[in-house]
Amino acid sequence: MKESKTMEATGIKKKQLLRAEGRAAYICLIPSIIGLIFLTYGPLLAVLILSFFDWKGVGTPNWVGFANYVRLFTKDPYFKDSIKVTVYFSLLSVFGSIIYSFIIALLLNRNIPARGFFRAVFYLPYVLPAMAVYLGWSWLYESNFGFFNYLLSLMGIQKIKFLGSKQWVVPSLALIAVWLSGNLIVIFLAGLQDVPRVYHEAAEIDGANSWQRFWHVTFPCMTPIIFYNLLMSLITNMQVITPALALTQGGPGNSSRFISYIMYTYAFKDMKFSYACAVSFIFFLIIGAFTAVLFTTSGKWVFYQGGDN
Amino acid sequence: MQKEKSYKSRKAMERRLDILSLILVILMSIAVMLPIWWIFRSSLMTNAQLFQWPPKFFPPDWLWSNYKETLKYFPFLTYFKNTMTIIIPAVVGGTVTATLGGYAFARLRFKGKRFLFSLCVGSMLLPNMVTLIPLYIMWTKGFHLANTYWPLILPYFCGGGAFNIFLIRQFIMTIPKELDEAATIDGAGYFRILFSIVMPAIKSAMIVVALLLFIQIWNDLLQQIIYINTGDKFTIAIGLSQFKGSLKQEWAYIMCSTCMSFVPGIVFYLIGQKYFVEGIVLTGMKN
Repeated sequence: MKESKTMEATGIKKKQLLRAEGRAAYICLIPSIIGLIFLTYGPLLAVLILSFFDWKGVGTPNWVGFANYVRLFTKDPYFKDSIKVTVYFSLLSVFGSIIYSFIIALLLNRNIPARGFFRAVFYLPYVLPAMAVYLGWSWLYESNFGFFNYLLSLMGIQKIKFLGSKQWVVPSLALIAVWLSGNLIVIFLAGLQDVPRVYHEAAEIDGANSWQRFWHVTFPCMTPIIFYNLLMSLITNMQVITPALALTQGGPGNSSRFISYIMYTYAFKDMKFSYACAVSFIFFLIIGAFTAVLFTTSGKWVFYQGGDN
Repeated sequence: MQKEKSYKSRKAMERRLDILSLILVILMSIAVMLPIWWIFRSSLMTNAQLFQWPPKFFPPDWLWSNYKETLKYFPFLTYFKNTMTIIIPAVVGGTVTATLGGYAFARLRFKGKRFLFSLCVGSMLLPNMVTLIPLYIMWTKGFHLANTYWPLILPYFCGGGAFNIFLIRQFIMTIPKELDEAATIDGAGYFRILFSIVMPAIKSAMIVVALLLFIQIWNDLLQQIIYINTGDKFTIAIGLSQFKGSLKQEWAYIMCSTCMSFVPGIVFYLIGQKYFVEGIVLTGMKN
């Protein structure tokens, strides 16, 4: 009898404690919950709803159904090109950045002196303000006296209008994106230091050479991090807009008119807010599709230690 | 004997690979630094010298006076002050609210945790660009905050971004739970534990978050352009884009303005670097 009473008491005590814990958690999460509702999922819903209206920033919105979407896919002069250009830019910069930073991370992970110094050097471009970086590079890309044309002339190659030609503008901007990807190096390096030494030692005892150890030990262990970097780098690069705002204004022609840039001009230059929302929503679906492809194929090549994650 | 020999030759091979790596790293870091050097050397030359062929690798007479000239047209200090007016509160707000959120997800039990956490992680995949227009409408038409810094600051007080919450959570999960359990037995409340046990232990993760937020705001030309429209409120990013537009071909001055804008980022990075690398390494970025 007495025993059951104390048990009951501790049960109540436990419940009270849990309730206090829950209360503390909700207090901690108030800012994040406000953010999730009003800055993330609410606006996402708002984009979808607004895209079915005709609204230019003033007056009452008119319901127009799918008209904005129909116009986007049939009459819009920029939309299709902008998708192509954005995907092209993203593929170049994502693969460029991943390959560049993985190689640098592998080199830095070897037994070399002044590693911290070199890591800082490669990371440095990432902490520079993007606007200043693009301004600086636009001078390097100058078509007659720029640094890159000087390099080309030293190699005996003809000068190139890097930012002024349809063919070169996207690769030139992608090169800047690769240069800026020092943050990926730091993440890769952290991952490389996590590769269990035991695996390497075991492979060494079995007589594996450096290349075999890289291909059968390091690389598989790194696939989750490569996946993470691919995903984040893809989402960042698909949203590219600063170079178009800062340097090219979408040109020459439509060759650097990225999706974000047409969305920006429709909304903030032409004040066609609802039409720009239709662009945003399609943009959301495109990024979603790329993300989904990445996730579904990841099962085939991403290797998780311990199996379930 | 045979084994000994192969072991030795493998060691020698490793040594050779290390040396090769060092050479490659040196070459690559020179390549990475060259653009910055070229921008810097261009800021110290006259326009006539810039348009000479072949270009000179070193500035002929190091014209530091270019910077003084540039400052006449490019009020860097005002822009810097304006940028800091946004960055300081935003970084503090973002770091504190991300820490609170990360703590709740890492340590506390509550109803709806899984659901909230997946909403949080899901928002990492949602591009900011998509929600730009409704947010603009909300801040300018709903709250009438156009041409103020509030739309650029307040969002950071709402969790500081899912990625940062996640980073703090991962970090807190690496510190032993026994520490705060012991404190609970001693009668400390959850917030006492957070402030006196958890926060000191995750100092470097908080610095990483602060630096990431700093860089994010630093780079965000788009939002600054859409919310700020008078010259006295311009940030460094807007100021630079306007300056380029007004000068067109005065490359030496443009490069001066570029170099000036490089400085604060470099300084903050050098101050935080030690914590920064440590923070990323310890977080592990697994899962």
